[in-house]
Amino acid sequence: MKIAFKVAILTLIIVLFVFLNLTPVSSKVKNAIYLLSTPVQKWFFKTGAKISDFFETISEIKNLKIENEELKLRSQELIAQNLILKELKTENEILRKSLEIGLEKEFKLILVETIGKDISQDFLLINKGSKDGLSKNLPVITQQKTLVGKITEVYENFSKVMLLTDKESSFDAEIPEKGIYGVVKGRGNFKLFLDLIPQDKEIKEGDLVVTSSLGGVFPRGILVGEIKEIKKSDVELFQKAEIQPALDIKELKFLFVILEW
Amino acid sequence: MVKKILILFISFYILTLFQSSFLVHFHFLGIVPNLLLISVILINLFESQSSNSGLFSAAISGFFSDVFSENFLGFHVLIFLSISFFIKYFFKKHVQLF
Repeated sequence: MKIAFKVAILTLIIVLFVFLNLTPVSSKVKNAIYLLSTPVQKWFFKTGAKISDFFETISEIKNLKIENEELKLRSQELIAQNLILKELKTENEILRKSLEIGLEKEFKLILVETIGKDISQDFLLINKGSKDGLSKNLPVITQQKTLVGKITEVYENFSKVMLLTDKESSFDAEIPEKGIYGVVKGRGNFKLFLDLIPQDKEIKEGDLVVTSSLGGVFPRGILVGEIKEIKKSDVELFQKAEIQPALDIKELKFLFVILEW
Repeated sequence: MVKKILILFISFYILTLFQSSFLVHFHFLGIVPNLLLISVILINLFESQSSNSGLFSAAISGFFSDVFSENFLGFHVLIFLSISFFIKYFFKKHVQLF
């Protein structure tokens, strides 16, 4: 009797479940129970989330310190990278400008960076040397095709550039508009003058002075500066004129060395 | 008897809600303890030979497990009832309690 009762109950349960699953009643039952449970479930869920958050924060304090240090390191790395990129950007812009001017068509150039300036002695130190194919007496110009000077000493990785305003600097130049030739001499302290201008030639302030190919020191047509003050004397054979160098001493960060012309 | 079933019903209902809404936040290595199964096993282990509470608790907790899971109704009921029957059978045949 007892066994028969148990079997009957079990059968009833199975029949009930089969009925529930085969008809839409199953989903209705589930839906009703969910509806009834929602408020309690919400409360349980919120409380659970709060408590677990609390414990998670405690367990993560140790990690936060490590993470913070890692992020600081990463930030420093990125700052360093950023600086490099900025420098590359400047270099890129300069190269672009020089391409626009067409410098690369006229000359075989190499881009150099100034790493030291000694303006009082009219010298610059650049970051390329014999390893990069530089040698003595090569002309150095800016991206605007303005004369800077020439290389006077070459080391393996560095070179010294004598500015055109150095006392020992002297080269042939011309005022192309008037066909007047002369010799530009440095005076030191960023000063220049044009010498050996015949007395009969008319020059005036603002005339542009460029290099001439006469001495073979520099290629022709590189801007030197403009006439600032004319010194004419009847006793002397030639006129002299002070030149305002076109070179801006503050913008000597990136330069070009002319390897061939 | 009815009172006992009612108490079991309410207790397992609350336990199911607790398990499905509260305990899910405290998983350890991706595992959430199945309180319903544990309760069913414990009740069946510790109830007297003549009591039917184990079977009722298996059926009720199985039902709630089914409602709050994706399985069809009856899936967990059958599993839990089988476990309950097995424990009862094992105790009856092989374990002599005093």
